[in-house]
Amino acid sequence: MSAPELVTVTVDGRAVQVPHGTGLVETGLAAGVEIPVFCYEPRLGPPVGACRMCLVEIEGMPKLQAGCTLVAQDGMVVSTAATSKKAAEGQNATLEFILVNHPLDCPVCDKGGECPLQDLTFRYGPGNTRMTFPKRTFDKPIPISPTIALDRERCILCYRCTRFSETVSGDGQLVASNRGAQSLITTFEDEPYRAPFSGNVIELCPVGALTSTQYRFEARPWEIQNVPTVCALCPVGCNISATTREGKVKRIISRNHPEVDEGWLCDKGRFAFSHLRAPDRITEPLRRVRRRGFAPVPWDEALDEAERLLREAGDHIVTALSGSETIEGAYGLARLLRGLGAHTAILPEETSDALDAYRLPLSAIRAAELVVVLGDEPVSERAPVLDLWLRAARRAGAEVVTCGPAGSTLAAPGAAAQVCLDLAAPGNELGERLRAAARAILVWSGPGGQGGAQLAALAGALGFAGREGCGAFYVPAAPNARGVAEAWSAASDDEGSTPDPIKLLVVSGDEAASNPHVRALAERAESVLAVTMFQGLAVGWADLVLPGTSYLERDGTTMNLEGRVQRLRRTVTPPAPDELAWLSQLAGRFGIELSPHPAVLFAELSPRLFGGLPFGEVGERASLRPRSAPAAEHRLEPPALRRPGDGHRLQLLRYRPLFSGAAVERVPELQFQRPAREVELSADDAERRRIGPGDEVTVRSNGTSATLRARIDRRLAPGVVRIADEHAGDLHQLVEVLKR
Amino acid sequence: MADEIVLAGAEGRDLTKLSEFRAGGGYAALAKARGLEPAAVIEELVASNLRGRGGAGFPMGRKAGFIPKPGTNPNPTYLAVNADESEPGTFKDREIMRRVPHRLIEGCLITAHAIVSRHVFIYIRGEYLEEFEILRAALDEARGAELLGGVTVVLHRGAGAYICGEETALLESLEGQRGQPRSKPPFPAVSGLYASPTLINNVETIASVPAIVERGGAWFATIGAGPASTGTRVFCLSGNVVRGGNYELPMGATIRELVYDHGGGIADGRELKAIIPGGSSFPVLTPDQIDTPLDFDSVAEAGSALGSGVVIAIDDRCCMVQLGLRVAQFYMHESCGKCTPCREGTRWMVALLDKIEDGRATHGELDLLLDVCDRILGKCLCPLGDAAAMPVASYVDSFRDEFREHVDAGSCPFGGSSSLDRLLAPVDQHSLHPTVEVPA
Repeated sequence: MSAPELVTVTVDGRAVQVPHGTGLVETGLAAGVEIPVFCYEPRLGPPVGACRMCLVEIEGMPKLQAGCTLVAQDGMVVSTAATSKKAAEGQNATLEFILVNHPLDCPVCDKGGECPLQDLTFRYGPGNTRMTFPKRTFDKPIPISPTIALDRERCILCYRCTRFSETVSGDGQLVASNRGAQSLITTFEDEPYRAPFSGNVIELCPVGALTSTQYRFEARPWEIQNVPTVCALCPVGCNISATTREGKVKRIISRNHPEVDEGWLCDKGRFAFSHLRAPDRITEPLRRVRRRGFAPVPWDEALDEAERLLREAGDHIVTALSGSETIEGAYGLARLLRGLGAHTAILPEETSDALDAYRLPLSAIRAAELVVVLGDEPVSERAPVLDLWLRAARRAGAEVVTCGPAGSTLAAPGAAAQVCLDLAAPGNELGERLRAAARAILVWSGPGGQGGAQLAALAGALGFAGREGCGAFYVPAAPNARGVAEAWSAASDDEGSTPDPIKLLVVSGDEAASNPHVRALAERAESVLAVTMFQGLAVGWADLVLPGTSYLERDGTTMNLEGRVQRLRRTVTPPAPDELAWLSQLAGRFGIELSPHPAVLFAELSPRLFGGLPFGEVGERASLRPRSAPAAEHRLEPPALRRPGDGHRLQLLRYRPLFSGAAVERVPELQFQRPAREVELSADDAERRRIGPGDEVTVRSNGTSATLRARIDRRLAPGVVRIADEHAGDLHQLVEVLKR
Repeated sequence: MADEIVLAGAEGRDLTKLSEFRAGGGYAALAKARGLEPAAVIEELVASNLRGRGGAGFPMGRKAGFIPKPGTNPNPTYLAVNADESEPGTFKDREIMRRVPHRLIEGCLITAHAIVSRHVFIYIRGEYLEEFEILRAALDEARGAELLGGVTVVLHRGAGAYICGEETALLESLEGQRGQPRSKPPFPAVSGLYASPTLINNVETIASVPAIVERGGAWFATIGAGPASTGTRVFCLSGNVVRGGNYELPMGATIRELVYDHGGGIADGRELKAIIPGGSSFPVLTPDQIDTPLDFDSVAEAGSALGSGVVIAIDDRCCMVQLGLRVAQFYMHESCGKCTPCREGTRWMVALLDKIEDGRATHGELDLLLDVCDRILGKCLCPLGDAAAMPVASYVDSFRDEFREHVDAGSCPFGGSSSLDRLLAPVDQHSLHPTVEVPA
């Protein structure tokens, strides 16, 4: 691509060169001049010119112009409020009008101190008011959802929130109603704003009209610290800042990484932090007493007990990992246990580094011309922000093809591997287009992808290796599955066989502790040592419980689905020593030297995993490592067979909803986001059974059944029903659905 | 009136019927236009210097020339006809649609040919139910007579928002969005309806097109008041005059001719106090300006605008503060709420005018009212804010003494005898408007 043509613009007497097409607000910034804005937000699509804050004078134009709506033209002479009396008067007028109906309740407003309206009023606005009439009033605050409160009096009608809802997240639930001075923001039909990205409107709001119910009256900007870290609740790894006050996390806000999240967060990442203070949080070691219940034990005793369990087990130890540990945490655990000869670990899922050869930043999805999404699970449930990138791609004109049980191209559950074979076969129409496209993206979301190896084989077969704009993403189930797997393997070169009997099962983390397979394994283990955050996860089966920590309490690194290594920072001190602190002590008892410091451990593992990348260079906005060379041979595996339905019995597709898991369960404000007790049916199957939307139905298989409400999903493939994991209970893979 | 162009032949004949319209030579221009190259039609329009009749007065031929030529833009081109006539004082498009609907349709088809469009959208004001039905019947007849030539004409009824007469708000509304103006550029000729090149013109403008094609742009340019104001206008005369109504006159007829010669002068033996030319959005003129010719330049020189060809005669019984309040209330009610100065400023204007009319205001607040108007003017996203600020500011300027009297006397000097007193403000009228039944 040739370099874009440069144009020269003069802003307040300063000449500046910017690429053709640069907006005037950005041109001003390039010249070191502020053009103040409220409604302008390039991430929301084309400018709207609504707030009139950005009025500037442009030579040759009689009227003031909204700077945000203009692009730099060669020879343009722009005067802002700093040099133009007319522009200053215009901006002053805008602020006076905005403040006419704004309540000016800054002392009790959460936004006060970090409020663009406050800041710009100080810089450009009138010092007093000439408005002597009653201000427009509304009922307030209105909880538009359990997480968001709306204060319509403070609203300056910049329409950022409605544009986000309509354009970016596409949920269309926030709308403007009424007209003129009576205009107000509301939710469609006054229903709660229930959408996975709703919280972003809080950050977009340039005043205190949309505030977080969790953060309401919790802190003022001058008494908080924003700690830069990353969200570790899903494999995207959005960059966040944790706002802390007096050692407590008060809110999560975005820390825009343009390649990863573009400044958007899902509601899970934004609101789930209060699980840190869940009532059943474990803050001290617990030992099982008799058959039921736990008793707290001092740390010394707990470590004595752990040492005893490890010594008695010898190498008959199995470790169950969560995939949410930090790379250093997993490495520390591996150094200790594998140092004892216990090499067997259960990983949450298969991982692979094959896709590193087709690595691209997530932002490349938006630039794509063709995107093909495979797999059984909706991207929005596994990696929500990736779904926003797909939406952005669609808006930018890309064709997004989804091949799955609810896709634009229907494929049976578990058929993704077959779709890969089809796409790679010569003459496949879509496959040929993927081969021809300069910017094509493949995404695999769901089980059965061998950690991305299958997708890498497809990418290789389609000739993606030589094309910079083409890439592939595998969406794992766990946030740091690959980092954990690689850390485990980096800790030792020795190998061992699966022990029998299992004398000790070490359970690392909440996801492992709530995994039914791990629970089943625990039945066979003589003892169980669990590291969990919450008592509810350990009761009844663990012999010794050591307190776990959250991603917000850990220092270290994590690897997201792009393969990007990102830095986690300790935002608050955990209520108990973190994993590495006691692992280090425990290791010492076995003569294994293990540092409690993530920086030291990273230095140890980095040469093996990350080419010696220094810890300090991971950075606040981590960069993506270059592509590796593709594996010499690609082999597409034939799909594992899944029993098809038979018309009478339907295939059950379970999915793990975005709003699920130990953390979400402990956040009262997020309960409304959890999936309803529903079974999704295709229109075809519903009609055949005379089931209408909202009907109560019984879903039944081999002796177990569940009563759920029917929802008709017209996109769902016939023969398939979808139920969220938490409502699917013990149902088998083939189910009958009967109207009650 | 022999000089009529738009309403020509409608006197004594029912031109809503296709046969009658054709008997008078209707649709001959369409046949002629279809025999010409599209560019040749545009050339005639340019030669005629037909300027937009909706209010802005932009030359139609030039605007049509901005539409990309076939093959230069991947999107289709559209013609949108603005029949959302809602300006207080304007009722000419209504007359045109009632009496010569086929002329409008003919104009649409010729214009569609000129810009190589196969889609015409007529956005008709929601309250114009009868006009809608007449137009629909005419359209059905034209379709039956196979006059459409493969062009789809969509009649779209508005939902009662003045702002949807603003061209970009009209497009938003047509697309099914909230009727709010878009920021320009991009202009509709580049990216209009469904992000495609779109020509938007007023009903009267389009209805002038057949005559131009039939008799030539040069002929059209000889009518009127010189090269800047060619052709005729259907003037909407209202207020306290003996014979209000629509009068199609050549451009350049004076206000006096319209009010006295055609309209029969001021009724009830009252005296003329003020004239609102152009529509409620424009500055007021005083009786000493009555000889101003009604053409673009002359009215502009007099300090107002020709707008949509309106003349409202105000007599001496009218309280100018009340008039200002009525006008401001209308714009407050119709402000779409998108941009700040209009949304907040119109409400503030109403509050101030209300206080002045009530006699509770100070002299400082008179200045504040002017300042508020000034702070709206030229700073809004679309012309609606200006439309509210300009007339009110002009009332204060031209009738300052009357405004001062309200302050000094602590009450309205008309004491309830103003002709606007107890007349429902437009806002209230709106809420009392009978329900319009929408035919299925």
